[in-house]
Amino acid sequence: MQREVGTLPLAPALRARLAAAGFQTAQELLDTGPCGLSKEIGISREEALEALQVVRQECQGDAARTAGESGATRRCTALELLEEEQTQGFIITFCSALDNILGGGVQLTKITEICGAPGVGKTQLCMQLAVDVQIPECFGGVAGEAVFIDTEGSFLVDRVVDIAAACVQHCHLIAEAQQEQDHRKALETFSLENILSHIYYFRCCDYIELLAQVYLLPEFLSEHSKVRLVVIDGIAFPFRHDFEDLSLRTRLLNGLAQQLIIIANDHKSAVVLTNQMTTRIGQSQSTLVPALGESWGHAATVRLIFHWDNSQRLATLYKSPSQKESTIAYHITSHGFRDVQPPAATHSAEGTERNPRKRPRTEEEEH
Amino acid sequence: MAAKKLRRAQLSQEMCERLSRYQITTCQDFLCLSLLELMKVTGQSYYEVQKLLCKVSRACAPKMQTAYEMKQRKSVNPSSAFLSTTLHSLDRVLRGGVPCGSLTEITSPPGCGKTQFCIMVSVLATLPVSMGGLDGAVIYIDTESAFSAERLVEIAANRFPAYFDSDEKLFCMTSSIHLYRELTCCSVLKRIMSLEEEIISKKVKLIVIDSVASVVRKEFDTKLQGNLAERSNFLTRGASVLKYLAEEFSIPVILTNQITTSLSSGPMIQADLVSPADDLSLSE
Repeated sequence: MQREVGTLPLAPALRARLAAAGFQTAQELLDTGPCGLSKEIGISREEALEALQVVRQECQGDAARTAGESGATRRCTALELLEEEQTQGFIITFCSALDNILGGGVQLTKITEICGAPGVGKTQLCMQLAVDVQIPECFGGVAGEAVFIDTEGSFLVDRVVDIAAACVQHCHLIAEAQQEQDHRKALETFSLENILSHIYYFRCCDYIELLAQVYLLPEFLSEHSKVRLVVIDGIAFPFRHDFEDLSLRTRLLNGLAQQLIIIANDHKSAVVLTNQMTTRIGQSQSTLVPALGESWGHAATVRLIFHWDNSQRLATLYKSPSQKESTIAYHITSHGFRDVQPPAATHSAEGTERNPRKRPRTEEEEH
Repeated sequence: MAAKKLRRAQLSQEMCERLSRYQITTCQDFLCLSLLELMKVTGQSYYEVQKLLCKVSRACAPKMQTAYEMKQRKSVNPSSAFLSTTLHSLDRVLRGGVPCGSLTEITSPPGCGKTQFCIMVSVLATLPVSMGGLDGAVIYIDTESAFSAERLVEIAANRFPAYFDSDEKLFCMTSSIHLYRELTCCSVLKRIMSLEEEIISKKVKLIVIDSVASVVRKEFDTKLQGNLAERSNFLTRGASVLKYLAEEFSIPVILTNQITTSLSSGPMIQADLVSPADDLSLSE
């Protein structure tokens, strides 16, 4: 109740008047009442009432926070976080080497950035993830839906159909091998039409549409609460042209990153961004670095860089808070994103696995 | 979308007038400000400003479609998804031909046949749908002055002698190929920006740009510091407009590129490594 008037989320003109009239704390405002307030600072009674309602709402939020309830600030112990992290699902990529270096797959509530030269497979991975997020829980997935925000126009439905068909077939094979009741039940809803209907696609042609869409995302996600993945394919493309004012670009990108972090946490979903590469001209040579500048490097929690080595595609885990830097090779087949060789049979007996949701790695009948 | 005026975003009249005093008239100006700045210019409280932001965003944001709806729409009209190149093995590898609705880039060292391919595809696009064409006009932007009308007629007459049996048919085909000679980056960009109206009025079904690399390499020397940013700016602007045109009208866009040497940091013996010139920006 000792909150200062200057910190309340009222209109600036109103705040200025209150300060000029000598009000200092929120309690004083509440004690004065709407009629007294309107007379003292010369506003209408309705406006005074609105202002007092805002003040009351703020003070209630404050009181809840000081009383230790989980209000707007999330407070919990590291032990609670550990338990949460262990039960959290990962979105698998169907390339077990990549899943391994990521620690299980693409993590929920974190922002993962994929950088790479054109044609190396970033959009393929995004389409694969948009299908994999929908894998039912009994097969080790998170049973969620996906939002795909496309700024480059590289989303091809036919390719998603191929990837989804391969995924459904893979799950059928597992179900036949294991013959469990819930597998068969889950497979009834895990069909091609369902997968495609749960990928929500937005095509943003410039950065304003992208900003607008991200502002509207929280509302969309509350309506579609099963969404567990937000993909923004091409975060760099709309920001790389028509920007004379680079400081504005940095500000907009930082704002975007913050909103995405909030979305990832509030709705327990993974956010995947793809970035382009640009050339940095050094003294004697030029190197390929991720686009959008140094400051954008802080936005993502996990950074993957895809690159070529002769004709082999490689993925390097460049930045991660919990896994070490490593490089693996991957393949893009007609079924989607895959390992270079089929995974070994010993994977099925992983006793060190603490995550009960992880799909047991059975011997894959090769497609 | 960005240039949409605020009063069309259903903001109240007084709010629009108030904002115009701060030179905020379009959605772009509005969305580029932070929340605190918006509170200052609108004079509203924090929660009101958030509601206004949502309103303005709704006016700008794209429509949602599910992947299923997209697939349904495509399956309604499957034949128009590709322009067959009539080279069977190429069509097989491309799964049907040059795709409509996206950009296709053709790259090669000099003399391999890029311009010839472009001329042939222009002829194919003017053929009726029953013969595998798109039955429409072609916009051909030529930056190297390599287009030869005689060669065009020669290809058409020899390739489809049964169809182009009269001078009238040839005349009809050549008059539906619109050639523009642009010699600087600036004029190429201006031409690309003006294509939208031409596509509608002339019923264009194919855009060919031959070649992007020659104007870019003429004007931008990448060893100079500032040039890389300008070159990238020009290329991404051109690319985004072309992508928009390709998607909006569902037509194929063909671009040609040149080959350059990529000198690695090793000894100069590796000078025979080749890579497309503007690979990093344009093919995204």
